[in-house]
Amino acid sequence: MQKIKFYGIGGQGAVTAAKILSIAVSVHQDEYAITVPAYGHERRGAPVFAHIIVDDKPVLLNCYVYEPDIVVVFDDKLIDMGVDVGEGCTPDTILVINTQSDEMIERYRSEYGFGTIYACDATGAAIANIGLSIPNSAMLGALAKTGVVSIEAVTAAVKESFGKVGEKNANAAEYAYEHTVKA
Amino acid sequence: MPVKMFDGNGAAVEAIRLARPGVIAAYPITPQSSIAEHLADEVANGNIDAEYVRVESEHSAMSVSIGAQLTGVRVATATASVGLALMHEVCGVAAGCRVPIVMPVVNRSLVAPWSLWCDHSDTMAERDTGWLQFYCATVQEILDLTLCAYRISEHEEVLTPSMVCFDGFYLSHSMQRVDTPTDEEAWDFVKPYVRRNMYLDPQDVMFINDLCPTVEHTEMKYQQMMGFRRAAEVAKDVFAEYKQKFGRELHTVESYMLDDADVAVVTIGSMSGTGKYVVNQLREKGIKAGLLRICMFRPFPAEEVREALKNVKVIGVVDRSSGLGAAQGPVCSEVKAALYGAGVGKVFGFVGGIAGRDISDGSFRKIFGELLDVYEGKADDCNTWFDVRDDAMNIREVEMPC
Repeated sequence: MQKIKFYGIGGQGAVTAAKILSIAVSVHQDEYAITVPAYGHERRGAPVFAHIIVDDKPVLLNCYVYEPDIVVVFDDKLIDMGVDVGEGCTPDTILVINTQSDEMIERYRSEYGFGTIYACDATGAAIANIGLSIPNSAMLGALAKTGVVSIEAVTAAVKESFGKVGEKNANAAEYAYEHTVKA
Repeated sequence: MPVKMFDGNGAAVEAIRLARPGVIAAYPITPQSSIAEHLADEVANGNIDAEYVRVESEHSAMSVSIGAQLTGVRVATATASVGLALMHEVCGVAAGCRVPIVMPVVNRSLVAPWSLWCDHSDTMAERDTGWLQFYCATVQEILDLTLCAYRISEHEEVLTPSMVCFDGFYLSHSMQRVDTPTDEEAWDFVKPYVRRNMYLDPQDVMFINDLCPTVEHTEMKYQQMMGFRRAAEVAKDVFAEYKQKFGRELHTVESYMLDDADVAVVTIGSMSGTGKYVVNQLREKGIKAGLLRICMFRPFPAEEVREALKNVKVIGVVDRSSGLGAAQGPVCSEVKAALYGAGVGKVFGFVGGIAGRDISDGSFRKIFGELLDVYEGKADDCNTWFDVRDDAMNIREVEMPC
C-alpha cells in the first residue's frame, strides 16, 4: 500500500490530478486506488489537498492520509503560505515537487527532512506542451518517476481524461517524466 | 462486465441513465451538483430520453417528480443537506401517495453552522418520512444499490420511495473503479416502469392526496407500514437476483469477522471500510474484533442486527450525526432497541465525523481501545463524542459588550 498526499493551489488541477491518478492505477495498471479530495471553500489561489491510497488489492481505508509515503507539491510557494507539507512525514517519505529552483529544493529538504526528492519544472513543461501554466498532467509524469504508477498508465489516463487537449497533456506528462531529476 | 471509472455522483448518474427516466427535475446543491449537471448533459447529448425540468427549488423538484411519476414514467431527482430539508414536506407526499421514486442523497451536514461537508444529519432527519433508506460504503455500491432500489421501491407490494444515501466528498467525489452492466443487462434487471394504484391522466381524472378523514388515516399509515414490512423481504430477493445476475453481494446488514468477536463496532456509510481495516489490524494482534455495517436503515433490519451481534460482549455504535437531545444517536438508538431483551453484551454509542471531520483509522483504534477497556474490566463507560477538540467549550466565545 502506498499513501500519497497532493498539495496544490486552487486552479492548478491537483484534485483533477488525483482523479486521473486513480484512473491510471485502476484501469491502466489493474490495481486499486481510492481518492479522498479535501475540498475547502473552493477558490483560485487557496491551498488544496487530495489524499490517494494505491494498493494491489482493494483499498479498505476511506479516510485522509496522515502518514504519507509520497508527498506531491504542485507549487513550491506553499512553504511560504503556512502549509506544513511535512505533516506526518518521516525521512522515508518521498517528495515530488514542482520547482525550478535548487534553493527551494534545499529549503524543503532542510525544513521537512525529506530523504528523497524528485524535482521537475512542471509548470514549464505545461507551458511548453499545452500553452497553459496548469501543471497537473506534468506532475503526474514526475510522480511516475517514483514507480508508484507507470508513465504509460499516466499518459493513457491523461489522454482519456482531457478530451481534445488529451494529447498535449500527455506530452506534458511525458516531457516532465523525462526531465524529472532526483535531487 | 465493463470496468468504468466513476466518482460517486457519476455512478449515481450512470444508474439513473440505465433506468431510463422520462422526466428529470433536480436542483443543484453541493456536493450533489455534478449529478444535476451531468443528468442535464446526458439529456442534452441524447443518452437519456427525458424531459429535464429546471426547477427553482428542491420543494419543486420533488413536486414535479411526484406529478410526473404519477403519469406513468420513472423520474429522477437528487439532493443533499438543506435541499433535502426543504423537500421534507413533499417527501411525505411521495411516500403517502405511494410514488416509488428513487432518489440519490449525497450526505451533507445541516445548518447551523453552515457546512458543505459530510455527515448524516440530513438523511437521519428524514428517517421517519416513509422512505426506504440505503447507505452506501463504496462507489460501486452506489450503482448497485440504486439499480436495486428501483426494483424494491416499485414492487407492487412495496410502492415506497427510496433514498440511496452516500457520503459527500468521501464517495460523491472519490474516483473509483466500478463494474458497470451494459445498457441491455441493466434494463433486463430494472425493467420498464409500470404505474400501479394511483395515477394522473387527464382522460380519467382522479383525486390525488385529498383530505383524508380520521376514520381512514390510520389505515393509510397501516398500509405504508405493510409496504415497509414487505420491503424488508423484497430487498433480500432483489439482492439475491442481483448477485446471480451480476455477481456482487449486497446486504441489509453486513457482518465482518463477527462470528467469534468479543468487541465490535456498528458502522454506516463510507466509514465502514476504514473500520474493517482496523478490525484486520486488531485481528493480527490476536484481538477478536469485528464489525457490523448497517446498509439498509429503513426498514431497519432489527432481527438481522440481533442475530449478528448476539455473541459480542462489548459493542460500539458509531453515529455520524449528533442526535441532539436524544438518549443516543439515531443508529445507536435503533441498534439498542433491536437488542433489547436479547440478553446481549454492553452497547455504547459514539458520535463523530460531524461536518466533514475525518473518521480515520486512528479514530477507530481509539474507539476499539475504549471498548476493549470495558471488555477487560478497566472501565465501565466510554466517551460518546470522539475526536473532539479540547477547547470545544471556548471556540467562538463572544464577550458581551455590556
